[in-house]
Amino acid sequence: MSRHALRTRHQDDDAPTLVIAVDRGSLRLAPDDDSWGGAGFLTQLRVLSGRSLRTAFSDYRLVFFGLLQPVVILLLFSQVFAGIGDMPGVVAYDGYINYLMPATLVMIAMTTAMGSGAALLSEIYTGWVGRLRTMPINLVAVLAARTVSDAVRLIVQLVVASAAGVYVLGFEPGGLAGLAGAIAVAVAIGWGLSWLFIAIATWQSKPELMQAASFVVMFPLMFSSSAYVPLEAMPTWIRVLSTVNPLTYAIDATRALAVGMPVGGALVAALALAGVTAVLGGTLATRAFRAG
Amino acid sequence: MRAAQIEVTSLGKRYGQVTALDDVSLRVGPGSVLGVLGHNGAGKTTLIDILTTRIRPTSGTATVCGWDVVRFGEHVRRQIGVTSQFAAVDESMTGRRNLLLFARLLGAKRRQAKARADELLATFGLTEAANRKVATYSGGMRRRLDLAVSLLGKPKVLFLDEPTTGLDPVSRTELWRSVAGLAAAGTTVVLTTQYLEEADTLADEVMVLAMGSIVAQGSPAELKAGIGSRTATVTVSPTDAERARDALLRAGMRVRSHDHALSVALAAATDVPALVRALDHAGIAIIDLTITEPSLDDVYLALHAGGGA
Ligand SMILES: Nc1ncnc2c1ncn2[C@@H]1O[C@H](COP(=O)(O)OP(=O)(O)O)[C@@H](O)[C@H]1O
Ligand SMILES: [Mg+2]
Repeated sequence: MSRHALRTRHQDDDAPTLVIAVDRGSLRLAPDDDSWGGAGFLTQLRVLSGRSLRTAFSDYRLVFFGLLQPVVILLLFSQVFAGIGDMPGVVAYDGYINYLMPATLVMIAMTTAMGSGAALLSEIYTGWVGRLRTMPINLVAVLAARTVSDAVRLIVQLVVASAAGVYVLGFEPGGLAGLAGAIAVAVAIGWGLSWLFIAIATWQSKPELMQAASFVVMFPLMFSSSAYVPLEAMPTWIRVLSTVNPLTYAIDATRALAVGMPVGGALVAALALAGVTAVLGGTLATRAFRAG
Repeated sequence: MRAAQIEVTSLGKRYGQVTALDDVSLRVGPGSVLGVLGHNGAGKTTLIDILTTRIRPTSGTATVCGWDVVRFGEHVRRQIGVTSQFAAVDESMTGRRNLLLFARLLGAKRRQAKARADELLATFGLTEAANRKVATYSGGMRRRLDLAVSLLGKPKVLFLDEPTTGLDPVSRTELWRSVAGLAAAGTTVVLTTQYLEEADTLADEVMVLAMGSIVAQGSPAELKAGIGSRTATVTVSPTDAERARDALLRAGMRVRSHDHALSVALAAATDVPALVRALDHAGIAIIDLTITEPSLDDVYLALHAGGGA
């Protein structure tokens, strides 16, 4: 088609005119009054979370390796560090796997939370978030949907890892209720942390930076806690550090629940950790996100 | 004159030392098409991002449908549709699912969403591909889906950021037809482009941006009047070059020669046959003849030669 055939908007004197037929009856693309009036917060949250979940589970290979990863780590740690099982603070658990498994649940929660930040950042990069910003959509719903869908994904991961622990690695939970409680605490912590990593994502400008920053935060937190080795076996300065490390309490709570020991104040501390990270991360993320 | 759909006054955006947009003012009336023309880095996306409430200006004001884009962004977002430079659709979902998702986000009931999705899929020739993942779509199909998504809410104002960059000619023509149709049906359109031809074809009013500032503004005809129109480039054998030039000059044409290629500014449609006749009459064989549309570079060159705008 020549360019003159398209010329409808303004005409040169000698240009042939072609009026592009717009069948207003059937196309009805023109603005009119029958608009939809917007969706409520909960609808937006539901639709956006559903979409994230569908995306997360759309590639079976990704799902497979995502679920396999913690199992592999569990397998390696439980074999390589089996000797830790004979240490004073661990021997009561009757096998290193029983000590390790609950900590692994928290570690999975943390990794998934990091993934929330990374996923948000990549959606900012692809322009997906940019499109949502131009629509009448609550930005808090956009962020919350990310945390909700990742929490659902986390539940699936924790259940699969626990099952692998029980059936493959000889993990002996104190009871189903206790294990469910431990998973619930890990999910709460993961959900809270995902707000924190989302906040980091809205402040960072580069995915690589985000990755590096996340690891710098995550590894010290994991290793300066009671996750892998009992506190008694660590140098004094790490032991001091671990008393202010919120993960220590989260892991203690998860571990006590999972193996059926008394939980005590650790549960309160773990839930407080989840709450504080969610509120802090949520506030920072929303503020940064709104400012554009 | 009816109230402007878009009104921009002394708009500016700075990033530290970088001035992305500087003192831009414009008005766009209802149902008209504004073409924003400029090279990479000219500030086109920055302008679109401010008008679509994605970023805040550092100076000046802008209203869309009467609403200030900073203070009443929520109201602006209800009136607009936006297609960004890079198609923002979910590749892991089908085309239909993308449409359904955005329709639901805009408040459509399930049945309404389905009806509108089907309608738009048909309009943009995507019915057959509707149930395929977007990852399998061609660039043109992706763009069409992106446009369909931005039309779900029946926007009063449509923003298109370089909608045809990277498209093949057929897809480009199809997209032009859609945009022209929408404008004819009453949608106000702001479209950015690097192609003079595109602005010329679609826009009522063209604005040329360079380094964040407006360097020219007017109707496409006015803009083109400043740069001359099409150019014919004639290649002849080196031995004929001198005579060919004389023949064309005698025929009253504006000729520039480089080596054995001659370029001739074409003022009227009859200039091409006249050119061929003149050379034929002089007994000169034409090895090659191409006709090129003026480009954005010609606009910048003309503005520069004229001491800017
Ligand atoms: N977030 C940003 N930070 C710093 N500079 C930016 C940013 N966004 C755009 N710019 C600069 O602003 C100028 C205009 O960019 P842009 O509006 O994207 O141009 P165009 O869309 O016409 O290619 C460019 O020089 C670009 O480098
Ligand atoms: Mg751009």
